[in-house]
Amino acid sequence: MRYFLRRIVHGAFLLVGVSILSFVLMELAPGDFFAEMRLNPQLSAETLAGLRQQYGLDQPLPVRYLHWVQSVARGEFGFSFAYNTPVAPLLWSRAGNTLLLTVPAALFAWLIAVPIGVRSAARQGKWDDKIASAGVTALLATPELLLALGFLLIALRTGYLPTGGMSSTGFSGLSWWGKFKDVTAHLAIPVTVLTLGSLPILVRHVRATMLEVLQSPFINAARAHGISRRRLLFRHALPAALNPLISLFGFSIAGLLSASLLVEIVVSWPGLGPLLFEAILGRDLYVVIGAILFSTMFLVGGTLISDLLLLAADPRIRTP
Amino acid sequence: MQACLSRFLIILLTAVCSWGAAASISPQSRQPNEELLVTDNEIGQYGGKIVTALRSEPKTLNPAIATDGPSREVIGRITADLIHINRASQQTEPAVAKSWKVSSDGLRYTLRLRKGLRFSDGLPCDADDVVFSFQVYLDEKAHSTQRDLLIVGGKPITIRKIDPLTVVFELSQPYAAAERLFDGFAILPKHILEKPYQEGRLAQVWGISSPAAEIVGLGPFRLKEYVPGQRMVLERNPYYWKADHKGQRLPYLDELVFLFVPSDDAQVIRFQAGDTDVLSRISAENYSVLEQQQQNRGFRLYDLGPGLEYNFLFFNLNTNLPKDSTIARKQGWFKDVRFRQAVSNAIDREGIVRLVYRGHGAPLWTDVTPAYKLWVNPAIPHPARSLEKSRELLKAAGFSWKSDGTLVDGSGDPVEFSIVTSASNAQRTQMATIIQDDLKQLGMRVQVVPLEFRAVLDRVFQTHDFEASVLALGGGDVDPNTKMNVLVSSGASHMWDLGESQPATPWEAEIDRLMKQQISTLKFTDRNRLYGRVQQLVYENLPLICIASPNILVGAKTTVGNFQPAILDHYTLWNVDQLFVHSPVKH
Amino acid sequence: MIKTRTISLPLLLLGFIHLMVLSAGFLAPYDYASQNRMLPFAPPTRIHFVDTHGEWHFRPFVYGLVDQPGNFGSYSEDLDHVYPLRFFVHGDEYKLIGSVTSHLHLLGVSEPGRIFLIGADGYGRDQFSRLLFGGRISLFSGLLAASLCLVVGSGFGVVAGFYGKWVDEVIMRLAELFLALPWLYLLFAVRAFLPLHITPTAAFLLLVMVIGLVGWARPARLVRGIVLSAKERNYVLAGRNFGASDLYLLRRHILPQTAGVVLTQAALLIPQYILAEVTLSFLGLGVGEPEPSWGNMLASLQQYHVLVSYWWMFIPGVALIPVFLSYFLLANALQKRIKLGLV
Repeated sequence: MRYFLRRIVHGAFLLVGVSILSFVLMELAPGDFFAEMRLNPQLSAETLAGLRQQYGLDQPLPVRYLHWVQSVARGEFGFSFAYNTPVAPLLWSRAGNTLLLTVPAALFAWLIAVPIGVRSAARQGKWDDKIASAGVTALLATPELLLALGFLLIALRTGYLPTGGMSSTGFSGLSWWGKFKDVTAHLAIPVTVLTLGSLPILVRHVRATMLEVLQSPFINAARAHGISRRRLLFRHALPAALNPLISLFGFSIAGLLSASLLVEIVVSWPGLGPLLFEAILGRDLYVVIGAILFSTMFLVGGTLISDLLLLAADPRIRTP
Repeated sequence: MQACLSRFLIILLTAVCSWGAAASISPQSRQPNEELLVTDNEIGQYGGKIVTALRSEPKTLNPAIATDGPSREVIGRITADLIHINRASQQTEPAVAKSWKVSSDGLRYTLRLRKGLRFSDGLPCDADDVVFSFQVYLDEKAHSTQRDLLIVGGKPITIRKIDPLTVVFELSQPYAAAERLFDGFAILPKHILEKPYQEGRLAQVWGISSPAAEIVGLGPFRLKEYVPGQRMVLERNPYYWKADHKGQRLPYLDELVFLFVPSDDAQVIRFQAGDTDVLSRISAENYSVLEQQQQNRGFRLYDLGPGLEYNFLFFNLNTNLPKDSTIARKQGWFKDVRFRQAVSNAIDREGIVRLVYRGHGAPLWTDVTPAYKLWVNPAIPHPARSLEKSRELLKAAGFSWKSDGTLVDGSGDPVEFSIVTSASNAQRTQMATIIQDDLKQLGMRVQVVPLEFRAVLDRVFQTHDFEASVLALGGGDVDPNTKMNVLVSSGASHMWDLGESQPATPWEAEIDRLMKQQISTLKFTDRNRLYGRVQQLVYENLPLICIASPNILVGAKTTVGNFQPAILDHYTLWNVDQLFVHSPVKH
Repeated sequence: MIKTRTISLPLLLLGFIHLMVLSAGFLAPYDYASQNRMLPFAPPTRIHFVDTHGEWHFRPFVYGLVDQPGNFGSYSEDLDHVYPLRFFVHGDEYKLIGSVTSHLHLLGVSEPGRIFLIGADGYGRDQFSRLLFGGRISLFSGLLAASLCLVVGSGFGVVAGFYGKWVDEVIMRLAELFLALPWLYLLFAVRAFLPLHITPTAAFLLLVMVIGLVGWARPARLVRGIVLSAKERNYVLAGRNFGASDLYLLRRHILPQTAGVVLTQAALLIPQYILAEVTLSFLGLGVGEPEPSWGNMLASLQQYHVLVSYWWMFIPGVALIPVFLSYFLLANALQKRIKLGLV
């Protein structure tokens, strides 16, 4: 329990550090954030003055940072000059869209990688291991960008799948089932690309870990006892391989918000990636910081979860 | 038991009918005192909807403060003006105003409104609303973006109500084509907007999340639904004041849907897939892709010839920059007219029309595109590209070449500058890249800097921190008055030298004089002569080095009836009240 | 038994690829910026050996291209104009080393013929030439960035591991911070917020620096781990007793231990950084016109009409596959050797 609390505090410090770092980095940026606001006709002079005061925009950096922290405490996470709204609702909806993409992709990747990796390890050196390894290597060498563009082209040519965006016209007029089908169709390409992109690394790690475990003494002993191959694999080897896999799982969670940046931009999926990109080009300061902070939270959370899982799974860690 | 059942059936039936009726709004039957505008279009069928796409979400539905394209597109469909320019004939015609009289000195316009006008909420519209609307537009504190258009001869137009159906506009000096002025000034409902206006919060109302019932206008449609990030749906205005010559109240369509599709390419894909019915402003490359599929996909494409848009390269000629800055030093080159002429002669306009517009465009040597049929000065030459001429001009201006071909000025500094352009506009970035290559052949080193559009605007209009830029302007109308802001020294779009109350050069002074004169010259031949001279000056002095103008390319499904695209904005939906769908879908 | 083939094969392939892009000037038929405005998006030129009469020619040749009227972007071969392929021809000028220039190109056809081995882009520029010149930017920015990252990261790692205590604490906390940041996001933010108004060379260097510096934390941690364990070895302690200076110990005993990890990291980081440059250029935040990079050559695929009509624009992306494959196999082989204690 104490360990848990300690990690949470540690994570909080990390987030604070990241936010400060982001602020400092944005400070290096030339160009004036005022420019954005001045050019927005929606913002009346009173609103501008109000914003200026609320966020301390003409004050030195530490003051601005404090104002921003207050805004975070209020749940607003700052103000978007481009969208003319507080940042938080933007982030939540976009982050939700990204998760809609990355969670299924991660799930699929794991569901496919573990069996392939385990089987490859079990049949090391045989032809199906070789084929799997070759396939995985080929995938590893192919940049995700190329996969995304390639699939997009196929979709455009065949006209089977919708290209771009998250939903079609008349979406709100569809039944629940219709809505589900529509979003799924739009998810097809990006999820496939992301799954294929993360598959190779997972397969390799699963395979490597399983191989190592399968060569360890206690497995040999169990084998000598005459335990069947299948029981050996699933009852004895897999649990021992759990540790590094859990760490890997933590990495998967960590990347949930940030790994899909490029794919989202290419297929016009309205997620956190395109928001960040737009905000960067549009010098929308608080959106940039908010997006970075959000994805960092996932990163930190991911490592925390994997550490906790490790704690639960491996009794050796629990004993001090 | 029988009674219960029949009562139940009656209730069920009523419910079904009212549900059916609620699904689409029927046009109101004609009132006895209503004076409707009768149109002469092909008779269409009621029902159906048309789906079109917007590049981005409208920022507001408030006509007084809207500036961006998408907002104005939607606002244009839910509001109406007093006198309207027919996009096909390019002439003015009566709209909310049934008729008007002009006094002999051209200073007084008396407009008579239609009887029985009603806003989209059913409440009546009369002279009070007209006076209120213009009061808002003229109010300095309300910061309406259209206010400048109502300042004639330095003084704002005044408006007076004579009786509930008559208003008088008074100008301080004669204004050429004053009637055209009224196009685009939406009549606002006093009964809804007066209170916020008096409380000083007019700019905050009628944002896109406002309840639909609050947004009221005289246009053929009214707001039905807004789904953030996806679409905006307009429904028929049952009180619309136009009818076809069979007496059927317009519009024919039940609904007009605007989808938010952020990129040109995505819009083309949706159009091909049949998701949208009308495609406005297709880019040239996508036009070629669509052209090959016209026959079997049930749509038709239209190339309407050059529009009003002109793309140009211009240099920073601002006079109020700090003397020792790099830009000020380079202005020594930019300000020499021979330098600008040399640059203009080196640009491969034909190549640009070929590569950027796939041939669907016209090269330009002045800012007056071929679309300005009545105004184009035929005496202005269209010289072919000539690098020799450019070199001669540069030599005469004191430039020379090093042994490796680099161009240097009189003090030996190599000629290098950057062109800023909007990163999101692939075509202008392409133009800049082609110009970069063209000028390389003169020994100039040019860097193309694509920036986010707002950053470009900021540099050009606010900080003046740029060396050269490729931008485009579109005229709102085929009338030289729309160019006042650009050509007059004190104009807000005089982008090569902003913030000048006095002209910086003799030729700019001459242009100022001529433009101010033509704006109050009522006779067309005189105006034509004056404006022709302005074009000559622009051609010789090149404040804007004009490059090319794209053709207006649009597309629509063959099921869309009465489709008459025009080269004036709104290219496809200007006559949306007369559009209909050949086989309407009943809700 | 680890066969040396597993290292030398990928190394050879990489060496070959890098040699090709270094000799871009000679191997490329044209300069990377020369436009052919009459031939936008020309398809890869067909090389013929047999002419219209059915005769075989020993010297291959190409036909002229003419665009089909009314159908922009569609070309057909002009059988009246034959251009034989020549070798060691005189062409566009390019820089050999420093200011020494040359006009010699490996192959070419006489004017006004054009040979586009993998087609042309929207300005009619030869994609093959741009692929070679662009490879310089993409591949070497990865290399340089990785080197920078490793130097800086190792530096921090060594300092942290060797001196320990609070220095170690501070550096490791900082590393944790940098590791917690989503790398790509940070890269974007830092890059886009730096001045955009710079010359292409400066942009390239800036890009390299930014990519390299953002990722210093991981190598730092790994190197620190090695240094920590190496520090406690007997021979190091013995050396210290003999009065060896810190610098000597580092140079002679500790740093060589890090070689394996550093090399493996290099083989892993270089492709990652090449991909970073490609991604940034693809999105317009990297190298600008007219300088080519495999990233900005792919950027035109974001336009619908290019994506569906001009398949040869994919080639710069495909070119990344052998590069990544080689680096991956190299990293694999290095890891195996480290495990066996061979490095």
